[in-house]
Amino acid sequence: MTATPSPSHGPADGSDGAPDITPEPATAAPSPVSRRRLLGAVGAGAAVAGAALGAGGTALATRDSGPGTAAPGGEPRAATVDFRGAHQAGIATPSQDRLCFATFDVAPGATRADLAALLTTWTAAAEAMTLGRQVPGGEGDLNTPPDDTGEAVGLTPGRLTVTIGYGPGLFDDRFGLAARRPSALKPLPALPGENLDPAVTGGDLCVQACADDPQVAFHAVRNLRRLGFGTVLPRWMELGFGRTSSTSPQQATPRNLMGFKDGTRNIDARDEKVMGEHVWIGEEEPQRWVRGGSYLVSRKIKMRMEQWDRDRLGDQQDVFGRYKSSGAPLTGHGEFDPPDFAAKSGGRYVIPEDSHIRLAAPENNKGLRILRRGYSYTDGIDKETGDLLGGLFFIAFMNTPDRFVTLQRVLGAHDALNEYIQHIGSGVFAVPPGLAAGQDWGRQLFG
Amino acid sequence: MTPQPPFRVPAFRHPLQELTVNPRATHRRALACAATVITAGLLLTACGGGKDDSKGSAPAGAKNAGDKSSTVSIGISDKDCAPTPATVPAGTITFDVSNKGSAKVTEAELLDGGKILGEKENLTPGLSGDFTLNLDAGKYQIYCPGAKTEKTDFTVTGAAEKTWKDDPALVTATQQYATWVTGEVKELVAGTDAFTAAVKAGRTDEAKTLYGKARIHYERIEPTAEIWGDIDGRIDGRIDDAATAADFTGFHRIEQSLWEKNSTAGLGVLADQLSADVHDLYTKVQTVEYQPAAIANGATDLVNEIQSSKITGEEERYSHIDLLDFDGNLAGANEAVTVLLPVLKVKDPTLAATVAQRYQATADALKAYAATPGYENSGYVDYRKVTDAQRRVLAQAVDAYAESVSKIAGKIA
Repeated sequence: MTATPSPSHGPADGSDGAPDITPEPATAAPSPVSRRRLLGAVGAGAAVAGAALGAGGTALATRDSGPGTAAPGGEPRAATVDFRGAHQAGIATPSQDRLCFATFDVAPGATRADLAALLTTWTAAAEAMTLGRQVPGGEGDLNTPPDDTGEAVGLTPGRLTVTIGYGPGLFDDRFGLAARRPSALKPLPALPGENLDPAVTGGDLCVQACADDPQVAFHAVRNLRRLGFGTVLPRWMELGFGRTSSTSPQQATPRNLMGFKDGTRNIDARDEKVMGEHVWIGEEEPQRWVRGGSYLVSRKIKMRMEQWDRDRLGDQQDVFGRYKSSGAPLTGHGEFDPPDFAAKSGGRYVIPEDSHIRLAAPENNKGLRILRRGYSYTDGIDKETGDLLGGLFFIAFMNTPDRFVTLQRVLGAHDALNEYIQHIGSGVFAVPPGLAAGQDWGRQLFG
Repeated sequence: MTPQPPFRVPAFRHPLQELTVNPRATHRRALACAATVITAGLLLTACGGGKDDSKGSAPAGAKNAGDKSSTVSIGISDKDCAPTPATVPAGTITFDVSNKGSAKVTEAELLDGGKILGEKENLTPGLSGDFTLNLDAGKYQIYCPGAKTEKTDFTVTGAAEKTWKDDPALVTATQQYATWVTGEVKELVAGTDAFTAAVKAGRTDEAKTLYGKARIHYERIEPTAEIWGDIDGRIDGRIDDAATAADFTGFHRIEQSLWEKNSTAGLGVLADQLSADVHDLYTKVQTVEYQPAAIANGATDLVNEIQSSKITGEEERYSHIDLLDFDGNLAGANEAVTVLLPVLKVKDPTLAATVAQRYQATADALKAYAATPGYENSGYVDYRKVTDAQRRVLAQAVDAYAESVSKIAGKIA
């Protein structure tokens, strides 16, 4: 598709005004290459773009940031994340800073063929966007709306990942997929303490777009939605900021909106053994097509921020079982010190019985672990109370949603945190494995 | 950018017409693609707007331009920026621009009317640069701001570009559409006269039943009516479009009195004005020359209009006959699509099928609210009875239809 660059709406000389009296040396040092240059460079930028297009868009895109660029967490920030591979990107990928998550229902009347065609189109669009390119198509015809909505032009690819998942409803009798239902995919049971709003719950499909730039993530979902007109209907969408989990110790542990470090004991997604044990769907799954995939559970968790902010520090720390400032367990000094759940003081557990980390800890749940990959969200102001609306948009990956159900039955019933939070939205999706070269989501799903 | 009427109106090209900004006009773009830019081996289309209505909707692109290559030298000086040669054949043209020694003139642009197609800037004395364009036959200008003679003519020769007028099927389509629009406006005139007569006679209930019957014809042909922003504003403006209370006139002003006050008191002058305006519109629409792409994009605008002002209940906020307006917009879009369909079926049968299917889905969704005689004799239920969830279903059908219609213009040319 690089043969059909985006329309340039400026004059023929797209340079920034610099005269191109000297041709750029062929061995020009890598320079930041924005989407705009990648796609529509002319004039002074043309030497760079021309050379790079010959060498392939991927190579160009990965030059986007120099080795000196680092994310706040300290890890080098590659500009692009491979779209294809054994697993879908956006799961083991070190968490990007921003999220745009949307779910869709298949439109009434849309057929199996429509859905398959859309998934094929989505694959091409998602792959292009993760490379920092525009949605394929469009020759700059003034009589046609541009195929790409355009707001990511000039932005870097931002490590965009686009991850697709399929909800339980997709495997009903509408599309002949009943026989391909991943064995653990079914609606989540009712869980203690939840108060789910149907408007932010469920969906036949989900798309998780993560990027270091919120506009890049939003652009991805917006364009997939646009391509989906007539086949899928958007059901709900969530924007996330401030990743609330590190998925690698390389990343500094971020804080959630309660001000506590979140994800200290999360799975290190680089650890293939642990990922294979807890996150990736393995050989035990009878549906071969979904092996190497995972299950995504999303929970929109509203925080009662005003009430929380009024809680005394000692209680806040007891609720979590950690020190607020350092993130250390109440039995330790450093963030990564293992919690001592047996330690007592004055006859009481130092890490209280109803504290969040005690209830959620693998050692207290028969070793059960999940990969958390959530983000903070806000919906503005509550119309009735004027209080802030927001909290945690929880996303976790696991090899069966039963893991989440087991944990949440405990947390929902006993967690001291429940005084300050409520689960108001929910989703469960089977996330297929990564695509091989030449494969697309449509053929992968329908076989 | 100065809004332009969507259709060519030879008899009414008063300069003011193009300067009139119609805040409600949903579409105002007569489009044509004038040049493609070739730089460093990349082919980029750089179409920025129609330079000439007679070129119609055909994207000029490389396929229409000649395949010859030429080089034109432009020397910048205090005096001018004359091109050498001043006339070249259509095709790929490289402009070599050099500044031999002018401190005050440092750039040269190739203009197509007022539009910059290519330029080389910041050429201080001794510097040179180039830009390459793929140009169709036509008259252009080289422009160097600051020189004694700022603009010099530049001519590209070659066969006239092929236009939609060379396709008899498209010519037929435009004629069919013109005939249909004229017929609709004729109905509008008759319906409006009956309505305004009832208003003037103080027959409030009768006026209410005639209101929708007149309006639906307007809703069908809005893209054409919007060519004349002032008339459109007087006929169909909303209270929030009006700068002053006196500027709120036409259908919706009368609607407000009929439904809010259940009265025709003081509406005589407004009724006369409305009647005069639709008669004026009838005279004017018969002069319009339609272009296929503008017809197609007018259809998109009509469907968008359903989404922005009918689904929301904005347009008929006093009478709540929004579903009848929905019907009118949809019928108008469908007529535009229908006249273009024979061509579209040849150019892009898949899109033609998609458009037809999504039209049907939208029409079916609307039909669920049809009633006889319906609220205020509109043929539909009171729009206030349609729940938010039901409106969302309608909106989703409309959205999908609009998306497919928006792709037609680029395919038929």
